[in-house]
Amino acid sequence: MKTKKNLHLSLLQVLFLIGWGFINNSMIYGQETMEEAIISISFNEENNLKTIIATVKDQEGQPIEELDLFFYVERTFSLLPIGDVFNTTDENGMVEVEFPSDLPGDSEGNVAIVVKILESDLYNDQTLEMTKKWGIPVQLDESQEKRSLWAAAANAPISLIVVVSSMIIAVWYIIIYIIYNLFTISKIKI
Amino acid sequence: MKKSSIVKQKFKTQREKDVLSHMISTSLKYKLWIAFLFLFIVFGMYGYYRQLRYGLIVTAMRDFTSWGIYISNFVFFVAISLVGSLFSSILKLNDNIWSKPLIRVSEIIAVSAIICAAVIIIVDMGRPDRFFYVITHLRIQSPIIWDVIIISTYLVISILLLFISILPDIAICRDRLTEIPKWKKRLYKIMAINWSNHPKQLAKLQKVTKVLAITILPVAFAIHTVTSWLFATTWRPGWDSTNLGPYFVSGAFMAGAAVIIISMYLIRKHLNLKPYITESHFDKMGKLLVLLSLVYLYFNINEYLGPAFKMVGVEGEHITELFVGNYAPMYWFVQLGGLIFPVILLMFRWFRKPIPIFIISVFVILGAWFKRYLIVIPSMQHPYLPIQGVDESYLHYNPTWEEWSITFASFAWLLLIITVLIKLFPVIPLQEDELDLENSVEPNSLKNEN
Amino acid sequence: MESKNSMSDSRRQFLKKISTGSVLAVTGLGIYAVSSCKQTSEEKTTLLTPEGKLVQVSNSEIQEFEHKNHISPNESRKGIPGKKFVMVVDLAKCKNARKCVKVCDKHHNLTPDRPYIKVLKMQDNEKSSPYWMPKKCFQCDNPPCVKVCPVGATYKRSDGIVLIDNERCIGCRFCMAACPYSARIFNWGTPPNVDKEAEYSPETSVPSKIGTVGKCDFCPDMLRNNELPHCITACPNGVIYFGDEIDDTVSNGEETVRLSTLLKDKAGYRYLEELGTKPRVYYLPPVDRLFPFDKTNQENSEP
Repeated sequence: MKTKKNLHLSLLQVLFLIGWGFINNSMIYGQETMEEAIISISFNEENNLKTIIATVKDQEGQPIEELDLFFYVERTFSLLPIGDVFNTTDENGMVEVEFPSDLPGDSEGNVAIVVKILESDLYNDQTLEMTKKWGIPVQLDESQEKRSLWAAAANAPISLIVVVSSMIIAVWYIIIYIIYNLFTISKIKI
Repeated sequence: MKKSSIVKQKFKTQREKDVLSHMISTSLKYKLWIAFLFLFIVFGMYGYYRQLRYGLIVTAMRDFTSWGIYISNFVFFVAISLVGSLFSSILKLNDNIWSKPLIRVSEIIAVSAIICAAVIIIVDMGRPDRFFYVITHLRIQSPIIWDVIIISTYLVISILLLFISILPDIAICRDRLTEIPKWKKRLYKIMAINWSNHPKQLAKLQKVTKVLAITILPVAFAIHTVTSWLFATTWRPGWDSTNLGPYFVSGAFMAGAAVIIISMYLIRKHLNLKPYITESHFDKMGKLLVLLSLVYLYFNINEYLGPAFKMVGVEGEHITELFVGNYAPMYWFVQLGGLIFPVILLMFRWFRKPIPIFIISVFVILGAWFKRYLIVIPSMQHPYLPIQGVDESYLHYNPTWEEWSITFASFAWLLLIITVLIKLFPVIPLQEDELDLENSVEPNSLKNEN
Repeated sequence: MESKNSMSDSRRQFLKKISTGSVLAVTGLGIYAVSSCKQTSEEKTTLLTPEGKLVQVSNSEIQEFEHKNHISPNESRKGIPGKKFVMVVDLAKCKNARKCVKVCDKHHNLTPDRPYIKVLKMQDNEKSSPYWMPKKCFQCDNPPCVKVCPVGATYKRSDGIVLIDNERCIGCRFCMAACPYSARIFNWGTPPNVDKEAEYSPETSVPSKIGTVGKCDFCPDMLRNNELPHCITACPNGVIYFGDEIDDTVSNGEETVRLSTLLKDKAGYRYLEELGTKPRVYYLPPVDRLFPFDKTNQENSEP
């Protein structure tokens, strides 16, 4: 009898300690007991109208209503918000956001779409990223610098190079001709 | 010793004696003059040393007036140098015989002025230690590179013209002068390149002279036009003008004519050349100066009438500043004292006598120098964007003593080079006529192994 | 009998305690190991000491040099590929707080009399209200300064930025005369606070050199790390937007908007467009301002 009680006690101790450790750990990450929402994204494209449909469900599979979702496209320095100011889920946990049809992507037209839950009272912050070929492909201009007045020394306009060079050559040819003549003068002997 | 050398020296003609005497004796006057010039040069060197050590901060140039009197001095020197082409080319090709005695002086001034212009531009650079980047890393699109190319070309052509015009006389110096130090004899011998007044040599020389005389004219026009493009390719009031090229070139010829008159007078007086530079020369130069000034006056009117009529934005501010503002005293001194009054006065014969015309030319030169100051500095003080939030000193430009000392030193260098060249080479032709064979060297006096 | 039982009891208890303790310890360690970021690697690198000896030093002891991406002057002539930077300044929001000027001066070792950024009081005509206009280098697409440089010390890159190579500049100041926007400053004397240890890069514009020219460089060292230049993040009023024209997006640190929308909706213009320099900085007109124009206000009178 005594050993059974002791067993129960020690088991409880163990469980208590493990649970304590768990709580400690979760407190290190600073989270309260909030739930994880589950976002699923689907893309719809018809008649050149691109929409992103996000469905949010909680841990039990129930749709979450009245939750603000934030949609972004990843850009060079920051995230560009798309959609309305507030994209709130309806009673089915769904929200539709229109994707702009003229947004530039990378050279293949890929854009990185980011969906976030931010600062919600009930659900943890979450970020979901995916890449889609909905951007306009941008051709990287890898060509050489064009010839212009502001280009580097090697890319001066051809007309300028031709004109200046011909003038220099003409005048210096005359100068050298004259020096040569002076030289021949010195060679003339009586 | 010195006077006796003149006595010992044998001359063939009176002309030779008059022209060559000063070359073989060094008078006290000469030494004092050189010492005087060296005083300015040394003082200027000290100013430049300070500039090299502390940077351009020792000048009064700051972020808004980033070009100052170094640049205006540069423009002035380039302007003066055009006088060489005026005489060697324009007057000579038009068969103005009276101008012959003055050709050498004009070439000497041209060579000296271009050398000083190159020096002053290096002084203005923030990093003179990187001067050679202009050759190694040059960008053909830049107006400064065009300026560098054309200045070096013009320098070479001017040196050639000077050399060609003195060549027969160098031969005479080589043969006639005996009372000169050995190094001078060697110098004349080398420079005379076996000149012996051989008809073939004469023919070649004449051809060469003609070719150069024609070539230098477009180069001379180009040099000052390209210098004007340093300003005309920017958007500053007073610079953003299509008129700037002809304006600069005509001003250059006028200033050059005035410089010639001044040097004519001084050489005539100090080297006793009265029989060769006569009052008639002054008279003709006076008329030439009037003609050139009228052309310059025409371009001046064109330069200012358009902007003054419209008074557009910063151009209007700039014009107001020149006409009635801070720069009004300088502006009206330049226009009236340096341009209009000389033109009026020189139309009367009495004023074309040596002494009056000399004084008037001094005013013209002063006016020319301050005109270049007015071209460079007021325009920098009226940029499109207002000057705000900076120190009071940024709004005014008062050159510091370092800048003035370097500027005066550059004048001293100019005069020094001119003086040395006049001392070494005969300043007026020893032969009355180019084809004067009577006074030419005889074949058997070619042996001069002394 | 009972003592034997109790002895075995205490042994069992002892064993259980040990086991729970060890389980906890293992879990604790495991969690610690997972959550710990520090990786003490045992990798070593071979280095050469100044005395010429080769030594082995573990990687954790090597301190990384501050500017990780040192871009040499020759490398800086090529732009960051695939980008074309553009800036938009919203004149309706500027209150002359001058935080941008302060942070720019600090990062480029400038003295207060020669700032890269100038905030000017502008008034378009007598009847309209004055406004503050922050002005930097406009990084023009048809740059007059680049055209006139005799040695190619200033150059236009493929990403739109105009940079200055202070190791090639000869100090002729033609670019300063040519710029119609007075964007450039000159190091007339020795620049202060020169860190002689730092290697010069045109992308940071430090350490500056005497007798050379300087101007706003759009902070390419920050751009290479996809970070906004200092002035944008320092502005308390969100006046300056910066971004990539190819991306069609600009951001002022808090707000990110599409460039084309911003310029269309707010009538973006370029200063002195008629000069044909094609600046890369747009201005949004000072309309619908929520505050009157004050020369000194709370924001710029703070020390």
